[in-house]
Amino acid sequence: MFEPWQEMRRLQRDLEQVFSRVPSARWPLTGEYPPLNVTRTEQSISVEALCPGMDRSTLDVTVVGDAVSIRGERNPPADVPAERFHRRERPFGKFTRTVSVGDVLDPDRTRATYADGILRIQLMRAPEAAPKRIAIQS
Amino acid sequence: MTSMTTAKPAQTQIERQAARDRTTTAVSPPVDVYETDTGYVILADMPGVRADGLEVIAERDELTIRGRVDRQEEAAPNYREFELSNYYRAFTLTQDLETNDVSATLRDGVLRVEIPKSARLRPKKIQVHAE
Repeated sequence: MFEPWQEMRRLQRDLEQVFSRVPSARWPLTGEYPPLNVTRTEQSISVEALCPGMDRSTLDVTVVGDAVSIRGERNPPADVPAERFHRRERPFGKFTRTVSVGDVLDPDRTRATYADGILRIQLMRAPEAAPKRIAIQS
Repeated sequence: MTSMTTAKPAQTQIERQAARDRTTTAVSPPVDVYETDTGYVILADMPGVRADGLEVIAERDELTIRGRVDRQEEAAPNYREFELSNYYRAFTLTQDLETNDVSATLRDGVLRVEIPKSARLRPKKIQVHAE
């Protein structure tokens, strides 16, 4: 299957290694887009996705069971013919990524914000999946 | 070997700054550069940068963009695929550009820089008079 995002990033990595004098951006080696960070606390699970310049109307977050799916699309600058480009390093297209966080989630209490090119999703565990402290009986 | 000072040309201010930037953890943002009738547009992916952490400088024949990522993580991620770093990239400008009139905007982690062409280089339609 042709994976345009993965292909673009591989090309970009190769190009940066050849031409760049500054260190290249640390793209994940998983080849998935967008790269994610997951932070778990007792109260919630936070997922951050690095996806600058998305068309906001296409961003979509879905929670099912213990999985969160992120969808989005980024379009190239409108009305610019290919021959006008001197450099094209930024990837475009549609993406879908799903991660399982291991705990059953409560979709109704999910919050998502998009700022500075980072999508932040605050996930809450379903009541039955929330950690419970067990009293130790003497 | 008569003189030490002639061994190497003096670094320009820009080269010194670039050398300093390379020693810190700045990464090179991916860019698109395209030409319009009136100028050039640079688009750079710089997620995590806010307007107050951004610096765009046009100096002589160089345009440099720097982005500072200034954010506190509540806790270290349990699973990490990205780490935000500062950004740095420099471009050489040709003499036919109006470096005094560069504009920059930042939206959703994408920097957009517009550099107008000198007036004499913009396409001009010539009126043909019939005789």
